Amino acid sequence: MKQPGPEKLLKEQKIDEEYWAKWEREGGWRPVGWKIVEMNDGPTLNELKPEQFMIVHRPHANFYHHSYGKVSKFFMGLLEGKLYGTKCPKCGLVYCPPRAHCYNPKCKLQETVWIELPKRGEVYSYTVMAIAWPSMAHLQPLVGAMVRIEGTNTCLPMTMRDIDPEKVNIGLKVNIHIEKKPRGDLLDVYATPAEEPKPPKRTPEELKRFKEDMEKTRAWVKKTFGTK
Amino acid sequence: MSKKVGIVAGAISRFDNPRHTLQEEMCAEAVKMVLDDVPDLEIGDFIKKGYACCYSYFSDILEQQQCMHWIIHDYLGLSGVPAFRVESGGATPIDAIVNAALWIRSGMFPVVLVVGWEKMNELPIQKVNEAIAVAGDTDWDFVSGFTYNAFYATLETRRMHVYGETEEDLAEVAVLAHNNSLDNPYAQWPAQHGFSKITVEDVYKSRLISWPYRLLECAMTSEGASAMLLANEEMTKKLTDNPVWITGVGFGTDTMRPGDRPDNPAWKGLYPEDERIWPKEIPRPMSPYPDLTNFGSLRVAARMAYKDAGIKNPRKEISLVEIFDPYAGVVLAALEDFDFCKRGEGKKLLREGVIAPDGELPCQLSGALTAQGHAVGSTSIAQVVDVYWQLSNQIGKKWGAPGRQLSKPKRGFVHGHGGTGCQAGAVVLEV
Repeated sequence: MKQPGPEKLLKEQKIDEEYWAKWEREGGWRPVGWKIVEMNDGPTLNELKPEQFMIVHRPHANFYHHSYGKVSKFFMGLLEGKLYGTKCPKCGLVYCPPRAHCYNPKCKLQETVWIELPKRGEVYSYTVMAIAWPSMAHLQPLVGAMVRIEGTNTCLPMTMRDIDPEKVNIGLKVNIHIEKKPRGDLLDVYATPAEEPKPPKRTPEELKRFKEDMEKTRAWVKKTFGTK
Repeated sequence: MSKKVGIVAGAISRFDNPRHTLQEEMCAEAVKMVLDDVPDLEIGDFIKKGYACCYSYFSDILEQQQCMHWIIHDYLGLSGVPAFRVESGGATPIDAIVNAALWIRSGMFPVVLVVGWEKMNELPIQKVNEAIAVAGDTDWDFVSGFTYNAFYATLETRRMHVYGETEEDLAEVAVLAHNNSLDNPYAQWPAQHGFSKITVEDVYKSRLISWPYRLLECAMTSEGASAMLLANEEMTKKLTDNPVWITGVGFGTDTMRPGDRPDNPAWKGLYPEDERIWPKEIPRPMSPYPDLTNFGSLRVAARMAYKDAGIKNPRKEISLVEIFDPYAGVVLAALEDFDFCKRGEGKKLLREGVIAPDGELPCQLSGALTAQGHAVGSTSIAQVVDVYWQLSNQIGKKWGAPGRQLSKPKRGFVHGHGGTGCQAGAVVLEV
């Protein structure tokens, strides 16, 4: 037997410890405000009566020290602008998202090996987000695509750039990019069209509605962020 | 020993957002209605006679409270009584019912009280989306930029591509659910928007969320609670003269990440009859069923429940269905996965009126997730309670809408699932 010993620091991008410590000291769980409201309530819509409620505004935030475990190499690859997946030496399935152990029932959780993947793929399915995460709201309407990276047996969800939402379609060949300044998660990865997109078939009404939806979404973004 | 599990009573404390009433108070409202319906049951019986409680709520994040069921249990006056909490995302409440039924079948507990709830107005809506999204894989799904809205939208886009479903089909599903909810005094849609029928045009006017899904095609976020009293055959007959029986339970799973499904070696060849249904012009993945078009976990759960209940032909033998529909297209997929039709033909059952309230197989009579509401831990319990009321001829009494009571329904089927169909459960109810 042997002890694993302490971790050895190889590389680091430090967190702003002072910022988080300050947040803890100032925030914690204490309410930052409150309100008192009156509202009709009851167990059914046939039994409503007015009630008064006090509501406090209670802050909460955290950060997690999260290890990517044995698939860390994928994220270390992103820092170097490379795309990695894993391959099962027994059945040959290729995973991206990578798995350190093959999940093919025949392979009995065989350990996989790392391979570098081409930065090319194909749209397996897609959506156009009119509501994205708050940090990406300025990019709405935002195309999200399930991308099958060439040679893999999986789809990796990612957002697309330089694409007219009206034209994205299943089967579209894409190039995969990694952010110039990667931060170390999957959001560092995005796709752009690798060919002239062939839009899906839409009826005239569907097309009209789609265009209106895009206009409304863009107008909201412009009003909210003043860009695009 | 009889494997029959009976529903003695069921109750809902209505869905709305916000409902500033506390979780334990909403649960107390529902349990109080159960006690009113079962005069021979006392809270004190639970500890004296060896009964148990099974609690259902989804998120510790939404309520910023771990072990919330300890608070509920205490509040109901049940301290000392054996209690469990079940959590499996959107599948939580159906999973709680399935678990409770299995505990009764095991012979361990003669009576189990199932209580479910959720509060979804405590966080701002984008944080609610986030709290739900962390049920997805936080290394590989959550950080792709996709919300659950976006994931379900990509699944539906695939259905449109492979089966030719249309935006109109989705809007029609939403119209069906919303209009079904208008007589339901527990439903959130009429509580917030009044009692007028809606049309496809109203759905189109609602804002785009994630194409192809619009606001009225997505589940509401809700606050509410519900309760059910389950018992073994002997106790059921003692406690009620109007029982409904849970004759079948099932549960199943699929991959964590939907992107892994098209080439999943574990599914290849599992359902050959479904694999054969695949359009020639579309490249065939390694495991064409369920692909992204269907929900394999729903299939596993349904066939298990049918087998358990001795059902050979679900389309003929089942009278009404409540589908767990966080998004409208799930209704169409589920009809296929539940063997009510062949894959790709869910839209036919919709277009031909089969699932309409006066159709052969009425679905979503409560309004389901898009109109009754989706207070996650309460959702499927409320849907099961709605079907239980139909089967026990209580809609007139419980809804105050006798016109909505089906004429002598015999069997009901209810399912629930979590994630993108990562886990599912189902029950068959029978008079």
